[in-house]
Amino acid sequence: MCMKWRIAACLFFVFILGLGVPIKALAHGAKIEYTVNVAIELVAAYDNGEPMAGAQFVVYAPDDPSTPWLTGFCDDEGRFSFVPDTSKPGIWDVQVRQAGHGDIVHIPIGEDAAVTGSAGGYTTLQIVLMALCVVWGTVGTALYFSRRRRA
Amino acid sequence: MRKRMLVLPIAVLFVVSIMLIGCAGAAVGTLQFDANGEDFVRQGFVSKDGWSIDFDHVYITLADVTACQTDPPYDPHSGADMNCDVKISLGNVYTVDLAEGGDNAPPILVGEVSDAPVGHYNAISWKMVKAPTGPAAGYSVVVIGTAEKEGQSVDFSIKVDEEYEYACGEYVGDERKGMLQEGGTADVEMTFHFDHIFGDAETPMDDDLNVSAVGFEPFASIAEAGKLDADMAELHAKLAAGDYQMLVDILPTLGHVGEGHCHCE
Repeated sequence: MCMKWRIAACLFFVFILGLGVPIKALAHGAKIEYTVNVAIELVAAYDNGEPMAGAQFVVYAPDDPSTPWLTGFCDDEGRFSFVPDTSKPGIWDVQVRQAGHGDIVHIPIGEDAAVTGSAGGYTTLQIVLMALCVVWGTVGTALYFSRRRRA
Repeated sequence: MRKRMLVLPIAVLFVVSIMLIGCAGAAVGTLQFDANGEDFVRQGFVSKDGWSIDFDHVYITLADVTACQTDPPYDPHSGADMNCDVKISLGNVYTVDLAEGGDNAPPILVGEVSDAPVGHYNAISWKMVKAPTGPAAGYSVVVIGTAEKEGQSVDFSIKVDEEYEYACGEYVGDERKGMLQEGGTADVEMTFHFDHIFGDAETPMDDDLNVSAVGFEPFASIAEAGKLDADMAELHAKLAAGDYQMLVDILPTLGHVGEGHCHCE
């Protein structure tokens, strides 16, 4: 019984250790770094196709959807562009308004784009209960391996 | 034997814990539903054909008012059904006066839900229905006011008995709406653009707003002794066919979300 418990504990320790140990690549020589900045270009037009020349645009980032991240004005052809911060993956919202007309578009940026307007998070009570369940599961596993064998 | 006796209560405790997780309840706040006729209704405006219009009352009757959290965000241009991840509705029929409160009044609070799940309510739908009772009984929209031009004055009461259903995307305006935090309050707004009916002298005449608007002159031309009290049947009988058709075509465009568009049926 103690042996099984010890084996389980060792396996668990090795698993955790494997997650935490960084892999080092030994090399020397030239090192090149590059970044790719993807610009988003939008064109705003009225329903009849006429460009929204000089219309105001507002860009909202996914990490703070209530505060403007960027504001500006479209050019004479209703065009404008911006480079989103790719360290903030998710849905970028862009609003364009002029003379009582307006619209908003939602642009996913980055892999596994997070979704705005999610239906709520966990309360503190839920988090505590989930933590207790994890602890209990761990304890239960330990108790299982520590049980005495029947003769 | 002792351990066997412990297993059952421990298992029950574990199951109860799981149940409590699910039943602990999501974070909630208060979601308010507003109706807004904007300054056009509160302060009046000049129609595309020069009539200075002031409103005494603008009654609209609302039903099935529903705010949704949608993912992906609902696109009103698509005309598709609104698929709600979270849906909050007002259960009653409401007749509100968009002109209530004077020139600088805030939007009209239609109703609120105090235990709405948190999140971003980025879509809203509602119906404009005939009022069952009250000052607008039998009509979905009643517009009462006075129009003046070059010494002429017309007291008017225009009553619409058509019913409309709106499905709208996210509010478009100076600030974003519908973002509800735990324990907080957020609002969603149903906006009504009555300048679409009469046009706006401050907007270029070749703007689609004015091109599609009826104006006030057609209504003034059928007034008798400076008074006009007409429902859609009477307007159909008295207005020129082209003017009546423009009115029929423009009424569904009343509903907006700020400057954002809605799909109307």
